[in-house]
Amino acid sequence: MKKRYPDKTNVLLVNITRLGDMLQATPTIAGMKQENPDCKVTVLVEKQFTEVCHNIPNIDEVVSLDLGMTCRSLAREQDGIIDAFEYVTEAVDDLRSRKFDYCLNMSSSAYTALLLRLVGISRNGGWTSDDEGYRVIESEWAKLFASSVFHLNRQYNSLNLVDVFRCSADVEKHPKQLLIKVTEKAREYVNGLISSHGFTNKGPLIAVQAGASQAKRQWNPQKFTRLINILLDQLNARVILTGSKKELSIIEPISAACGSKNVMVAAGRTDIPQLSAMLEACDILITGDTGPMHISVAVGTPVVAMFLASAFGFETGPYSEGNIVLQPIIGCGPCNPNKACTRPDCHDLIEPELIAELTKLRLQSDFNHLPEGIADSNKVTVYRSSFDEFGFCDLKALNPRRGDQMERFRSAYRKLWLSDLGGFEISPPGKSAPSLRQLDGAIEGMQEVVTCAQEGRRLIGKLLNLIRDESSSPRMLGQLNQELTENDRKIEQLGFHFPQLGPLTRMFIFAKENISGTEAFDLASQMGGIYDDLDRRGRKLAAYIE
Amino acid sequence: MSDFTKIALQMREDWNRRISHDYRFWMSESHVSDEEMWRSGERDLQILLDGISEAGKKTFLELGCGVGRLLKPALKYFGGVIGIDVSEKAVETARHLLGSAPNLELHAGDGYTLAPVQNESVDVAISFAAITSMPTDVAANYLLELHRVLKRGGILRMQLYLGEEQLVCRNDTLHLRCYKKEALLESVAAAGFELEWLRELVLPFQVSFKEIGIEAVIVSLRKSEAAPESAAVVSRLLLPQGEADGAENTSGADIECWMSVNYAKELAERGETERARQAVEYALSFQKSASIDVRDVIDRILNRIEESEQPAPTRQVSQSGVFEANMAVLTELFPKAAEQVRTRSSSEVQVEVKETPDGPVLYQQGICLDHPGKPKSAAASWAKRLVEDERYLKAAAIIVYGFGSGYHLEQLSRCAGGKQIVVEPCTDTFAQALKIRDLRAVLRELKGLHVGIAEAWDFLEPESELVVRPQTQALFGEHCSQLKAAFHGKRGFASLHPAIAVVGPMQGGTLPMTGYTLRGLMGLGQRTRAVDFSSFASGFHALEGFVFDKARQAHLQGHYIEMMSQVVLESINEKPVDIVICMAQAPLTGRALTELRKKGVITALWFVEDYLRFTYWREMAQYYDFVFTIQKGQCLDAIKAAGAANVSYLPVACDPDIHRPVSMSEEERKRWGSPISFVGAGYHNRQQLFAALCELPFKIWGTEWPGCKPFDRLVQEQGRRISPDEYVKIFNASDININLHSSSEKDGVDPTGDFVNPRTIELAAAGAFQLVDERSHLAELLTPGEEVATFNSAADLKEKIEYYLAHPDERKRIAEKGRCRVLREHTYQHRLKAMLSEIFSVKYEQLKLRQDRSPWQKMLKRSEPYPELLSRCKAAYQRGEEPNLDGLIADVVQGQGKLTETEQKLLFLYHVRKQIIRAVAEEGKQG
Repeated sequence: MKKRYPDKTNVLLVNITRLGDMLQATPTIAGMKQENPDCKVTVLVEKQFTEVCHNIPNIDEVVSLDLGMTCRSLAREQDGIIDAFEYVTEAVDDLRSRKFDYCLNMSSSAYTALLLRLVGISRNGGWTSDDEGYRVIESEWAKLFASSVFHLNRQYNSLNLVDVFRCSADVEKHPKQLLIKVTEKAREYVNGLISSHGFTNKGPLIAVQAGASQAKRQWNPQKFTRLINILLDQLNARVILTGSKKELSIIEPISAACGSKNVMVAAGRTDIPQLSAMLEACDILITGDTGPMHISVAVGTPVVAMFLASAFGFETGPYSEGNIVLQPIIGCGPCNPNKACTRPDCHDLIEPELIAELTKLRLQSDFNHLPEGIADSNKVTVYRSSFDEFGFCDLKALNPRRGDQMERFRSAYRKLWLSDLGGFEISPPGKSAPSLRQLDGAIEGMQEVVTCAQEGRRLIGKLLNLIRDESSSPRMLGQLNQELTENDRKIEQLGFHFPQLGPLTRMFIFAKENISGTEAFDLASQMGGIYDDLDRRGRKLAAYIE
Repeated sequence: MSDFTKIALQMREDWNRRISHDYRFWMSESHVSDEEMWRSGERDLQILLDGISEAGKKTFLELGCGVGRLLKPALKYFGGVIGIDVSEKAVETARHLLGSAPNLELHAGDGYTLAPVQNESVDVAISFAAITSMPTDVAANYLLELHRVLKRGGILRMQLYLGEEQLVCRNDTLHLRCYKKEALLESVAAAGFELEWLRELVLPFQVSFKEIGIEAVIVSLRKSEAAPESAAVVSRLLLPQGEADGAENTSGADIECWMSVNYAKELAERGETERARQAVEYALSFQKSASIDVRDVIDRILNRIEESEQPAPTRQVSQSGVFEANMAVLTELFPKAAEQVRTRSSSEVQVEVKETPDGPVLYQQGICLDHPGKPKSAAASWAKRLVEDERYLKAAAIIVYGFGSGYHLEQLSRCAGGKQIVVEPCTDTFAQALKIRDLRAVLRELKGLHVGIAEAWDFLEPESELVVRPQTQALFGEHCSQLKAAFHGKRGFASLHPAIAVVGPMQGGTLPMTGYTLRGLMGLGQRTRAVDFSSFASGFHALEGFVFDKARQAHLQGHYIEMMSQVVLESINEKPVDIVICMAQAPLTGRALTELRKKGVITALWFVEDYLRFTYWREMAQYYDFVFTIQKGQCLDAIKAAGAANVSYLPVACDPDIHRPVSMSEEERKRWGSPISFVGAGYHNRQQLFAALCELPFKIWGTEWPGCKPFDRLVQEQGRRISPDEYVKIFNASDININLHSSSEKDGVDPTGDFVNPRTIELAAAGAFQLVDERSHLAELLTPGEEVATFNSAADLKEKIEYYLAHPDERKRIAEKGRCRVLREHTYQHRLKAMLSEIFSVKYEQLKLRQDRSPWQKMLKRSEPYPELLSRCKAAYQRGEEPNLDGLIADVVQGQGKLTETEQKLLFLYHVRKQIIRAVAEEGKQG
């Protein structure tokens, strides 16, 4: 695998605000340690996550930022601002004193980028900012991350963000699963909780996580009730409703509607270590795309996970072998995470009976094939999680649709990035080129992109000559600049016109935005490289489309 | 018996007793004679009435008037004088001492109300050393009563003590009550007053006891529109814990006893044995009720009384050769002052010399200019007290108003070094001082000395502090006020940084002046903010297209203006300012201005209109703290009479960045130029006069001209409105610019025209030649014939046009001189400097208090350890930003060069806040 900074001794990992993100970083941290056994890993988190980080293996030190207090100081205005200023000064001084030699910030937030600029770590794998305060993305993988999570491009991505994150940090070796520590104390607490509940059923222990971070990603509670009733009836199951205290308003009505002794509400009764132990004790977890899903995977309990609304299984799906992922097939999905939805039709594409059936099957054993007719491939795709030959997580459809164009592009892009960014050898398929009609003219568009990239390269060549020639007139430089701007605008537009080309052109845009420096010749040379990348990637992508 | 009645009876009984004992002692510090008492009354009244003018038309009231110490001088100044006191004995004595005066009313009050006095009948109310001894509940009730009897906008001035609250018994009628400054300000606001200023009271003897945290002050309040709270609320605000009845507090009997003992001692020392014995008797009458034992002290006093019966030797006052020696030093160090003494001193002013054990002292008009008994030791303690205030120690110079006999200067130079600048308004007094004392050492220690009535105040340094000797103030009140105004004005520019909003009109000739005013303020480094209503004009006129009945239209337009006023209020609520400058016709209602004043905002109007033609000032003047006019004389009086607190003349000006010589292409010159031009609206007198010029090469620009002959030919570009940029081109491209002040009534030149229009100054600034009609205020701005050419009739105009068209060099010379003059004296910066000086001089304390309490001050202080942050805070403060993060980073722009570390940190905070707010909002949306 291609690596920028293979050697690391003192690493800062910035993972400020989310538990899920922290868990998703665990293969990277473990891999870093594996590849650089003496490396010290420090994580920077928001104060409230400090405790949680102690349950993450391989972290040597946790540094916290109290953003809540900072905001409260700012809200006081006046001298509150000075308090906040002093706080950030202290934090920056503290971080500087630790002399990190590498930093990985996969949070794209403006404030972490500015913070890292202030700390001034020389080698970075993710986001930081330049002298003028603009955000810059240091590695190609991180640019891919930014391109992939760009809303319109998401559906063309089949690389799990855990892997993109890992590759941003140049980590190749990894444990192929998320990691979390489970303590004996937590196990004892959970055993006590379960045994004291008084389950009468003797069947499997099934955890159900009904709550989700957004209302639109939360499956209908009545469907959960129906599902649990089926599980109780058909599997003699013992059901544990997990969640936080805040989620009790969703969970309690489900429990009440089930009206069974064999449904236990654990929501609000466990902290993170105890939830880990609880999920470890369970046989399976039924969930949406949630923090508990990642914990379950980390403790080795398989999941049946529904990726509703804005959730997208390829992106943030369960990172271990043998989990079941359901992705509804709907024109608006995965939707924009920043928009609310008042009519989540995607919820109706998944029925409790299907989830019950998949749960039953997965409880029996890991499986690679679905019995015929169990899941309508026009409504929902059922996937199994696995790892490919290069160690990247993937989802394999168990009820594939015929002629799925999207799947074709996803696959082509996967190969493109693994080959172009990762340096893995992936041969293009044979001669069976797709028909232009089938691909909505995207191939033509791709050819246009390639042409534009070559034109850009040509213009840059001219520009370099003009820069070298001291007698060049500013008018000529201006004209050339205008031509380049026009060419770039065309590339950008092609990305919008052919959504399939979006990831390609977005990578080009991000690369352009991340050019740094002030010297004209150097800037032009960098730009030439970006056109070369686009040209090469455009041609490769065309070749990989089977 | 109500609580108030009980306290009132106690007060009456106590004060009757004291008056019977020795009214001079209990009423004033000057107890030697009635004459001295009256002089001290005059002195104190002058201090209290500082800045109050036109007293002759006003009604004055003194609460706690005693035997009339301040009423006597007040009778000279005020149209009506009312004295009220709880002690019948005091009122009776006052009647005896003051005699019958037609403008005097005396009342023995009930001790807690001003019952005989009518509502809203008093212009100026005072209370000197009276409220300080009243139980707090009574004082609170009196505040409400004073609010009741004062007219709208009436003034209340009180002498009070500030400091930590003292534990004083509720029934104690003598101890001085101290109140916390914040408590006092809150309680007077609750009683319906707004603070004008609060100053330390300085008298020739010690009145503040700063070493124990007590400061004597004068507080000036104005009756506000706000309805007062109840007496209980006012009292609670003044003294939250209330006053106790219990004996654990200091007893009034103790202090009365102790004061009498001290008085007896002083009388004995002065040899007034009979009065000393009376005071001893009085003190002994408290032996039973007082908890202190004074018998030993009294024994010693009685011994002293016996010793004092021996006559004291007198000293020779005159010292030969002293004057010459003093003059030699004076000539060497301060030749101007020496010259003043030589040439200006006369014997017109009666200056007496009296001997004291410390040396000779001077008396002028019966007022002792030093301490009458112990000038040296009193001066030493005065100087010591002064330098205890670190402001005086830190000051670059201490300006001392009053030379006296120089004792205080001698002591001050010992304590503060040689940084005094002395202003002595009376040359005779100063000359006399040079004759009676060897002042060579004193003179050598002075940094500056100004003798006589100064008119220029160039020597005032903003980093200096001013100390006014009350004796000199009492003698030269007006001059002292001028000095104070100049001092505060100058210091205001150095130490005040108010946020100033300029509210312009929706439309009309004053609209561009709003912009010039803003630029002028910015040029002076002021924190400014524009409230621009020009975009509201189209809405205002749109009403005419909906409702056609004129009365209803006017009604709706009134609502529209009300709405704009509300816009100003809301905008100032969001982003507070300290001063609002309204240009003429700014759409602010009286209600809005009252609201602003309630918030402590100073309101000023620059009334750049003819007050006889536009008379809305009659209703609006009362809502402004300051009105600035372009006319003098009767205009100032009329606007003052309409209720404006301060009215001053402030003529129009030019903006050199706009009104300037411009170069033009030949084509432009052809379009805009002409041998003779006029820019302006077609008023009656202009139509009448310009018709006679129709045969000349004459272009008229502007609106409201008739379409008939000859104007159809003269008026350019369909009589459209001409923008400032355009008329500056016309000025520049024309050989002669006619400037005829408008009149709707007069034909041609108005023979009584006074004010000068903006065009006059703007033309001069553009370097253009103008022929302007004669105006009575013109000569002080531009010298006719030298810096501007004038005409006084149509015939004169024609003649001069002919002359000046034939004399281009003369035109050029006059235009150049005119331009130099206006750039030197008549720019908006000059005017706004004058305007702010006036505001600062009157409202220095109010603005300083507001500034000290402003949140920015805290923020600036806190950011001191971080120089870059501090300079960013200062810049944001200067820009008029709010003290918040947005204000601080308003000028941090990404991509405009390298960000400094401080900028990066502030941007970090900005993005943290944005992210967290967004996260919370999303949580709310989802949940």
